[in-house]
Amino acid sequence: MSRPPASSGDDLKPVVMRPGFGAYLRETWQRRDFAMAIAGGELRGQHMDSVLGNLWHVLNPLLLAGVYYLVFGVLLDISRGVENFPAFIVIGVFVFHYSQKTIITGSGAVVSNEGLIRSIRFPRAILPLATVVGHSIAFLPAIVVMLAIVMATGEVPGPEWVLLAPALLLQSVFNLGAALIVARLTDLFRDIENVLPYVFRLAFYGSGVLYFPSRFVSDPAVLAFFDFNPFFAFVSLARGPLLAEMAIEPLHVAVAVGWTLALLVGGFIFFRAGEDRYGRG
Amino acid sequence: MTGERPAEPVTDPAGRHSGDGAEHARAEPTVVCESVDITYRVYEDRRQSLRSLVASKFKSRESRAIEAVKDVSFTAYAGEAIGVIGSNGSGKSTLLRAIGGLMPVTDGRILVRGSAALLGVGAALQPKVSGRRNVLLGGLALGLSRKEIEERFDEIVEFAGLEDAIDLPLRTYSSGMRARLQFAISSAVRPDVLLIDEALAVGDKSFRARSQGRIDELRAAAGTIFLVSHSMGVIKGTCTRVLWLEQGVLKADGSPKEVVKAYDAAT
Repeated sequence: MSRPPASSGDDLKPVVMRPGFGAYLRETWQRRDFAMAIAGGELRGQHMDSVLGNLWHVLNPLLLAGVYYLVFGVLLDISRGVENFPAFIVIGVFVFHYSQKTIITGSGAVVSNEGLIRSIRFPRAILPLATVVGHSIAFLPAIVVMLAIVMATGEVPGPEWVLLAPALLLQSVFNLGAALIVARLTDLFRDIENVLPYVFRLAFYGSGVLYFPSRFVSDPAVLAFFDFNPFFAFVSLARGPLLAEMAIEPLHVAVAVGWTLALLVGGFIFFRAGEDRYGRG
Repeated sequence: MTGERPAEPVTDPAGRHSGDGAEHARAEPTVVCESVDITYRVYEDRRQSLRSLVASKFKSRESRAIEAVKDVSFTAYAGEAIGVIGSNGSGKSTLLRAIGGLMPVTDGRILVRGSAALLGVGAALQPKVSGRRNVLLGGLALGLSRKEIEERFDEIVEFAGLEDAIDLPLRTYSSGMRARLQFAISSAVRPDVLLIDEALAVGDKSFRARSQGRIDELRAAAGTIFLVSHSMGVIKGTCTRVLWLEQGVLKADGSPKEVVKAYDAAT
């Protein structure tokens, strides 16, 4: 086809609904501002709904941590040698809750945006990405509160505290991979949305959020389960730098990085495979 | 759907490629549809649940194939405003969505020069945030950069006539204000091919005149407009060419006067 001088510059090209993997990642990256704007708009919108608005992003994990501390720290006292048990629980609950909230919301990223998907073309991975970005931003003030509580319980900030930043960044990328997967799964089977809260409830008790696993179980098979549980790895990576009595363990770093890479790559592959099916009932 | 099949076929679809040859001898094709079939499946239950999957022993759902578009071929040229008419369920919207890349074709192919966008930014807007943020959101949704949106911001607001309300949340807008904002954002993107689905009859008289002006502008800039409408007045007033779809088949393709006359005679 010859190109006339006055045309807008493109030749006729076939309409492509699902670009190749590389092109898909590139397009998603090019449209990242759109994901930011969706996330920003949602955060702005949320704070108009209730009196306390976005404060709930901090209050929710705070109240949860308070309840768990009362039940498991004071009433049942399962601290078993953890010296700073309040800080131990607060970090566990905040960090776990961050992933739980992000991934459960991410499961609705496709199904709750059908109108948008039906009328505008853009890489659909933008939608789970927007959820993850929004929850990451909302988590920032929660980090400040978490650090304040940890300091109030007697921990002294040191240079190793900065390691919390890469740990949480890695966790956010992990959340993205997981959100991509559950978003497509929910599009295939709506039931997933109902199942996920129970999966996370189970994971909560199996991720050492409220107790230190090796002080309760001795069975090596069960301990291996904890060792390879990504949530336990992320909780531990946050406790390592912040609590004087804990250290960052290479195994947890390896497990967290491994899961994150696997979910990120697998998530994009799995999510893109459904690209031309989204929004079509 | 009227159920009535047109009694006399007036404009012969076979003549559609040569029909407007003289006018477009030098114009560039912008959209080419080659023997396009679009078939999609609709299911009895909208969505499969695990329970029904187990209950049916993992057999697939009861489904019905809908042949929405059957063997449609045409070439659209730069500068054309093409009306798409036909009774409800005749495949007009499906065809538009396929050109816009929102619906896969089953057979045949569609070629587009440049970008094709459906006028439907409404779904990207968020009711709780201000009109200002929604201009950003809608512009980004349609693929503009932040910088491009900033450059066109004043023009969009002025075109929508929302200078006084732009900092109010979208949910406080009337439906007319909302529709004006949507049209202003969508058309500010200046896609090469703009697809409009029954959206033109919005706003008051002066806004309709302005939208008509915007459409003419886009056509002059070597763009192509597709307009699905049931209002023959709008079609005749806006379009330079009309496609008539009936039950997924292209029944006629020609000048608005002829095709609308044939369509009116048949319905």
